[in-house]
Amino acid sequence: MMKRTMRSVLAATAAAVFMISPVFSIPAKAAANDGEEEVVLRVSNWEEYIDEGEWDEEETIDLESGDILGENSLVDDFEDWYYETYGIRCRVEYSTFGTNEDLYNMLTIGDVYDLVCPSEYMIMKLMSEDMLEPLSDEFFDTDNELNYYINGVSPYIRSIFETHEINGETWDRYMAGYMWGVTGFVYNPDEITREETATWKLFANTDYRRQITIKDNVRDSYFSSVGALRSDYLTSEEFLNDPDYAMKLQNIMNDVSEETIDEVQDYLQMIRGNMYSFETDSGKADMITGKVVANYQWSGDAVYTMDQAEEDDYYLNFAVPVESTNVYFDGWAMLKNGVREDARKKHAAEAFINFLSRPDNVVRNMYYIGYTSCISGGDDPTVFEYLDWTYGAEEDEEEVVDYSVAHFFADEDDDPEDFVLTVPEEQLNRQLIAQYPSEDILHRATIMIYFDKAANERINKMWIRVRCFNLENIPVVIPLTASILIAAAVICLLVKKYRKH
Amino acid sequence: MKFSRKSLGIPYAVFLLLFVVGPLLVLFYYAFTNGEGHFTLRNLTDFFTDPNTLGTLFYSLLVAAVTTVFCLLLSYPTAYILATSKLKTKSVLIMLFVMPMWINFSLRITALKEILTLIEGNLAYYPFLNSVIGMTYDFLPFMILPIYNTIVRLDGSLIEAAKDLGANDTRAFLKVTLPLSVPGIVSGVSMVFLPAMTNYVVLDMLYNSTYIMGSLIGSYFSAYNWHGGSMIALILLALICIFTLITDSGSAEDSGVRGGALL
Repeated sequence: MMKRTMRSVLAATAAAVFMISPVFSIPAKAAANDGEEEVVLRVSNWEEYIDEGEWDEEETIDLESGDILGENSLVDDFEDWYYETYGIRCRVEYSTFGTNEDLYNMLTIGDVYDLVCPSEYMIMKLMSEDMLEPLSDEFFDTDNELNYYINGVSPYIRSIFETHEINGETWDRYMAGYMWGVTGFVYNPDEITREETATWKLFANTDYRRQITIKDNVRDSYFSSVGALRSDYLTSEEFLNDPDYAMKLQNIMNDVSEETIDEVQDYLQMIRGNMYSFETDSGKADMITGKVVANYQWSGDAVYTMDQAEEDDYYLNFAVPVESTNVYFDGWAMLKNGVREDARKKHAAEAFINFLSRPDNVVRNMYYIGYTSCISGGDDPTVFEYLDWTYGAEEDEEEVVDYSVAHFFADEDDDPEDFVLTVPEEQLNRQLIAQYPSEDILHRATIMIYFDKAANERINKMWIRVRCFNLENIPVVIPLTASILIAAAVICLLVKKYRKH
Repeated sequence: MKFSRKSLGIPYAVFLLLFVVGPLLVLFYYAFTNGEGHFTLRNLTDFFTDPNTLGTLFYSLLVAAVTTVFCLLLSYPTAYILATSKLKTKSVLIMLFVMPMWINFSLRITALKEILTLIEGNLAYYPFLNSVIGMTYDFLPFMILPIYNTIVRLDGSLIEAAKDLGANDTRAFLKVTLPLSVPGIVSGVSMVFLPAMTNYVVLDMLYNSTYIMGSLIGSYFSAYNWHGGSMIALILLALICIFTLITDSGSAEDSGVRGGALL
């Protein structure tokens, strides 16, 4: 879940140029400390997953609530804000990780962080291993207006976090949502129809042989394979009208029984030859350059892909499979062995989460990284205004439709009518549907829980079997010839050597 | 003077201990322990009984072998022509061959990807061929340089003598030049074959979804199985040692060539 922008290149250059500046600023900092020791906050986040500032003047987002412009990085802004608000110096040691598994391995090796931002399943794993420090009661105090997170988190996100448990404890005690999204396909509407794309069965569609990409990670591949295998049942009237629909859907999509794993293995082996590639990052570029017709993607990266293509007047669409989709979250969690019950650290960590949840900062992040924030803003209209600013139809537009995002924004006491956007019709197949999926889509969205140790081992073995060259598949002749050739070469060398002496 | 010549080696010894011996010990520890930290040979026996790991080993060897052959077929004539030409600009020419190495590797493979797409249409249909082309492209200079270095240092009078004794050009080449350039070939082969076995980035970038040794190790680590992953790394290390011992005995007499090759 990463992306590259021109801005980050500029930021890196600027950073390189100003490398020398700390040398000059040391005396100033020491003086400002006033004897009070500064708090050091060690944060680890995904790459390219926070606004790094350096925006151009013309990039200003002019909302009714005020102009928003990313001048400095959000991390620097936090340090200033924290000092201004609480009178305490906080220094953020910011680092990044590439995958959830990398982060977990770093933690196992002994790297220490106070605050990390993995995906929900990794947070569940860390919770189950008792590695997380719960968020404090003060963090949930809605009367404190500096508690931007609890006052601004979307009711949709909040209800999911409050209803899912690990070891009898709900997620929300340990995890503050940052970004979220669903999985689906970016596709080229000139090459493939929406009906063909909006199903997990697309992977097995031989009409598009070697023109579709799949994710190179076991969890996403597993989920989509289960979706394809159970497609008929998942779309049957009987199942759709089941009173326990949501619960049953979650159980089916998270089925890790041995029989299902075997089925998934056969399915993945079958579709492997039908894929263009198993990709982690290259799919976006291949989609934009037209090498593939459909690209299995996380919604945030889908938005980025469509944005990039649009710069060349090339319009791509996004479709969510009719069977089900995986709704995922990246969230902030405090690590026990990092904060170590240090009240000052906990305070800074929670303030960091709150600062990133302040509506103007939410907009900066969303504009910069393309993902959807878990924050709707509560009583603050900024985030909704930003949505209208981004997607709202121009006055002279002809084909417009109403699109409700009330399921994400509206609290019990809000009027859902207040959260209806008027958008160009094509946005129903484009960025808007990816960034703020409709209520229908979220109805069939389900979370993917973490695999326990035994299941994890089985599924990873399955994955390796899918990806490895299978000795049983090839005639004996090839390895035999190869080994004879190699042996012959070695003997020749040895003979040559002895002849010379 | 208190410092002996030996003490000049201290900085390197410290470096070696910290960054080579240390990690190696950790590797050994993980390879021979299980999740509970007890000694076990399970990881070793698992490797040799699992058709997937053996299949991967075979596939890696195959990719590496074909790459090496491709490299050799392209390099030898080139190196030979370069080394035996009367040109005064030889060093400039050889520089031109080495130059691609200075361009960032992923940039080169990305460019190659576009070229292959132009030629093949959809490059996903030829994963094995593309991997071999990519690796050949990447490792070619490592093969050309040592062969060039050997041939250019050959004593020209040996070939003249062969011709005086009645050998024609072909015969002189087969009986004199070729045998004498074996050390360069061996050194080139070992510089191409071994890295080609683990260079999975090329496969990834050219969309070959079959694992080779490097990607297999990676997949063990993302499944939190450090023990199995370390064992595979260790076995690979052992293979490399064996291979180096064989080739070393073949070319030990020409240490100058190896030095040149390690450029």
